[in-house]
Amino acid sequence: MTVEELLEGYSHDYSWDEMMEKTMLRSHYQPLFQKLADLDFSTISQLHQQASEMFMSQGITFTVYSDDAGIERIFPFDIIPRIITAKEWQHVEAGIKQRLKALNMFLHDIYHDQQILKDNIVPSWLIASCPHFTREVFGIDVPNNIYVHISGIDLIRGDNGTFYILEDNLRTPSGVSYMLENREVTKRLFPDLVNTSQVRMVNNYPLLLHSILQSLSPRPVRDPVAVILTPGIYNSAYYEHTFLARQMGIPLVEGRDLVVNNHKVYMKTTRGHQQVDVIYRRVDDEFLDPITFNSGSILGVAGLIGAYRKGNVAIVNAIGNGVADDKAVYAYVPAMIRYYLNEEPILPNVPTYLMTDEGSREYVFNNIEQMVLKRTNQSGGYGMLMGNKASEKEVEEFRLKVEENPREFIAQPIIKLSTVPCFLDGRIQSRHVDLRPYALCGPSGMHIVPGGLTRVALKQGSLVVNSSQGGGSKDTWVIDQ
Amino acid sequence: MLSRSADALFWISRYIERSEGLLRILHTTYVLSLDRGPYANNSWKTILEIFSYLPKAEKAELEKDADQILEHILMDSRNANSLRIILTKARENARGMQDHLTKEVWEQVNFMYHMMYDHQLSSQLKTNQQIPAIERLLKNCLLFTGIVDSTMSRGMSWNFMNLGKYLERCLMTIDLMEQQMIDNDLSEEKDILYWRGVLFSLSGYEFHLKNYRSNEANDNVIHQVVINDSFPHSVMYCLQRIRKYLDNIIEENSPEDPAGLKRQFGRICSSVEFADVQMIRGRGAPAFLKQTGNHLREFAWALSQTYFSYS
Repeated sequence: MTVEELLEGYSHDYSWDEMMEKTMLRSHYQPLFQKLADLDFSTISQLHQQASEMFMSQGITFTVYSDDAGIERIFPFDIIPRIITAKEWQHVEAGIKQRLKALNMFLHDIYHDQQILKDNIVPSWLIASCPHFTREVFGIDVPNNIYVHISGIDLIRGDNGTFYILEDNLRTPSGVSYMLENREVTKRLFPDLVNTSQVRMVNNYPLLLHSILQSLSPRPVRDPVAVILTPGIYNSAYYEHTFLARQMGIPLVEGRDLVVNNHKVYMKTTRGHQQVDVIYRRVDDEFLDPITFNSGSILGVAGLIGAYRKGNVAIVNAIGNGVADDKAVYAYVPAMIRYYLNEEPILPNVPTYLMTDEGSREYVFNNIEQMVLKRTNQSGGYGMLMGNKASEKEVEEFRLKVEENPREFIAQPIIKLSTVPCFLDGRIQSRHVDLRPYALCGPSGMHIVPGGLTRVALKQGSLVVNSSQGGGSKDTWVIDQ
Repeated sequence: MLSRSADALFWISRYIERSEGLLRILHTTYVLSLDRGPYANNSWKTILEIFSYLPKAEKAELEKDADQILEHILMDSRNANSLRIILTKARENARGMQDHLTKEVWEQVNFMYHMMYDHQLSSQLKTNQQIPAIERLLKNCLLFTGIVDSTMSRGMSWNFMNLGKYLERCLMTIDLMEQQMIDNDLSEEKDILYWRGVLFSLSGYEFHLKNYRSNEANDNVIHQVVINDSFPHSVMYCLQRIRKYLDNIIEENSPEDPAGLKRQFGRICSSVEFADVQMIRGRGAPAFLKQTGNHLREFAWALSQTYFSYS
């Protein structure tokens, strides 16, 4: 089979296609498609089948709850890797580093002097009205002044291939295990290609994370105790928690395994209580400590915030980070970069309209067919209105909600995400994608894993990539070209 | 090690050991039920007594239909001791313990779980492929044992897993033997055909033929199943293994009252170790087994109080 036959019928409705430039294959995709053309469709189908079986047998699944019965699904995986060139990556990496540096400084500022509010760069009312601005941690000093140890920054590519920042995830971003497992599966499917393409390594992520956790220990001991705190097996990201615990060789604990005594955190072991120094928590802020936050929660540990305030335990990520990844605060990140770093942002934001502003509100609803409306405090593709798909009635209902609570909404122009080739229904088709690179930040600096998780909107024409909304994922290669 | 982890590891092994026992008893009973022999008529009763909580009348009704029993014991989600439920529980525990298990062990438990929900199994059971289906499941239990043995490090996880495994095995041997003898008068000598089911179920038939030459089948079987410590399913063998792993655990974890647990277990052990067949039969073998089983269950409870209480 020739490459032309392989790609017969491939179209990419006016979006930026990462593989095709008009009718030409971009050079960095050529070896991959030459290889695929050497196989035939039935062999590619077999590889696709093999990949699904690998995920199932390893238990790499997430749980979908419907009718009270949890159903286990694999996160759909597309076998064709997405390729990013070294040059593109260099730009992305620099942009993310700059952004995280500013966001980290913002978090320190907002929980200490609040200089940025006093200088009127970010309006005070915006922060005061943010549900994730956590007054309980005001004034707490965190080790090395690092708030964002682990982050996932969502990027998209617009019409002309420009990378935009879509969203910052600074609390408990998930998906990194899929990034790592996707690569392992690809290695089995295309060992020769991974080898010859000089794909940059991702699998040192757990080791880097482990060394960061260790370095944050408040107790100056040789072998500090770091743990992962999980909400338990019913959490949809539970697989990832076990994966990271295993890859780092540290205990996976639940709230009921921990106890706080005299402002120190201990875990209950068969040998009695053992002190814990660092907690990588995958439990949201509001469930961490029933004494300080949600008193009905049994996922956390009573007294944890007290121990944190005393500096007896490090918590990763810091508590209260939600104020920096609020979708309305997002609009001010470029201003933060200019304010704290005196630099121009390397990666642009998607233009964002705050619905609290009457003028913007009017503009947005006059041009609704080009807009997407989002709730500031929701993620996972919930609470969204795509202006070009919604009926008049839906728009009207949304308008009422917006007018009632303008702080809870923002609007952005709909950006046609870039497309990449996927193997679906036995042939190669284009689908829209985003990119979530993972960044680790410790006392010795910042490290961004080359690549990240590419999420695919598997429905034709769909721009929503979230796994809860029928999205899948791809292995993402950064190659030295 | 976290108390919760110790608890889960202990139970993963117990559940898989229970599955293995269940499958072996099921296999034996099914095969023997195809023979018309002097002892075939009460054969399904034992398995229902051990692995089902149904009321007496329903059990009696079920006993007439082998396929329904198979369905009830293997697949019935309402039966808390069905294979499907046991393996689901084992897998649930393993899912929470992936940081203590090797990847290979987890994948095997996960595979066994998926087998139970796979249509291949249900269609085999419906199309007269019952024996191959049971054998395939049994193979996978054995595979689990092998994978654990060759991949797990010999640390605390290993100790707790083995403790669970041999405790379960010991209790299963006791229950099975007790059921076999409970309604039968042992004063008359039974022949080997009478004991064949128990011996097959404990994987000890060939062992018996090789090691016991005399015709006193009752005495011989009691000796093999209770006292003979070279038979890996005997009560004595299991107790010896439990003692070893218990010692390791106590040594590593120094509970508040190590002597208490040791004393309690030592009493059970010596009551078997220093018994002989005449004494056991003199007291009544079913009563002897029942008492040992009860003491062992009390011991398991004390063990969980010491090491597993966390919530």
